Amino acid sequence: MTTTALTDRYIEATLRRVPSRQRPDIERELRTSIADAVDDRLEAGAEPAEAEVAVLTDLGDPARLAAGYADRPLQLIGPALFLDYTRLLSALLVTVVPAVAAVVGLLRAVDGASASTVAGDAVGAALTAGLHVAFWTTLVFAVIERVPSPKLPTRQWTPAALPEPVGRRTRYAELTAETVAMVLFTSLILLSPVLPFERDAAGDPIQALDPWLWDTGLIYVFVGLLVASLAFAFAKYYARPSVPFAIGRAAADIATGLTLLWFAANDHILNPAFVEAAGWSSGTPKWINGIVVAVCIGSLLSAVVTALRDYRQR
Amino acid sequence: MLDEELLSTHQQELRRGTVVLACLLILRKPNYGYALLDLLERSGFAVDANTLYPLLRRLEKQGLLTSDWNTDESRPRKFYRTSDLGAELAGTLSRDWDELHAAFHTLKDGS
Repeated sequence: MTTTALTDRYIEATLRRVPSRQRPDIERELRTSIADAVDDRLEAGAEPAEAEVAVLTDLGDPARLAAGYADRPLQLIGPALFLDYTRLLSALLVTVVPAVAAVVGLLRAVDGASASTVAGDAVGAALTAGLHVAFWTTLVFAVIERVPSPKLPTRQWTPAALPEPVGRRTRYAELTAETVAMVLFTSLILLSPVLPFERDAAGDPIQALDPWLWDTGLIYVFVGLLVASLAFAFAKYYARPSVPFAIGRAAADIATGLTLLWFAANDHILNPAFVEAAGWSSGTPKWINGIVVAVCIGSLLSAVVTALRDYRQR
Repeated sequence: MLDEELLSTHQQELRRGTVVLACLLILRKPNYGYALLDLLERSGFAVDANTLYPLLRRLEKQGLLTSDWNTDESRPRKFYRTSDLGAELAGTLSRDWDELHAAFHTLKDGS
């Protein structure tokens, strides 16, 4: 028998969802398997069209078949991660959402807005923050679920493989704290152009950070590096320790520190107009740059020390 | 009377993994996907085609099966064969199965 349009469509729908290097091999095998199954039904006396439909129905949804070939999970977040996911999500929701609502409400109140505006904006900001927290947390976990980890079917499980309960809980608390700090810090940076700490003659807010950072787009590079560092913190917690991860984590931490160091060394932290409007002395930016440089050097040293310790513990 | 759905859930749980052992044992003689499906069914290991075909590739990737394309016939067929590693695993799993079998008998006789 020759394959028909229906089989072609089925095979195409399956192959679309498997990695391209596997496609030719899977296609050849699947085509033969379908043809064999159809032949069997024809020999048993079925009509050709009926036989083909029956065989494809038996094979089921091509997306499911393709997930089997590609070894892809058919769930967003599996049982191994689900508890950690719900715990982290609830921890973030109960900390970040009220914090954002409070900050926005406070800023509106300082602005002298009416009580209803303050409440309305606070609730709006809380809803937006909640959506972001839920979305990004879910996305990170869905990605972790799909990161391939080595499967060793013959390895025996022993109680020695149990996680250290106290150590893990501590590391979990660290991870949560790191995430909360990262989210707050990033939101502050990204919101800084619209935060009305100081206003110009037209009543528009003057941003506290150097506009050069936005003009060159470097602020997004910096935020990207922060997100990458956080992603590596998650990877360290959930994935098995490996050399590429350790190198990636150290590289992300060092790149973040160096970028900030470079900003500070070139006096690109504070907006000169903001310093003037706030009535600070001209020495203040130098002090702030100095503090940022000191913090950066500290964090660079700690990144190197952490990387060396991780390396030794392997 | 045992609920049909309940029965099939528990049966599925109990039989999960037996297909791997059955494949490793049957494929000591090389064979291809569809024929293996038929053989498994006739040997009493009902398995869906959409489970078996990806499973064969997974076992191949794990080094438990090896494969060769046979293009002598009109249709090209991928023949799978249990590797040395697969045979070793099959031996271990079979012993496991036998021990389970014995353990169940002990349980039943004891009651």
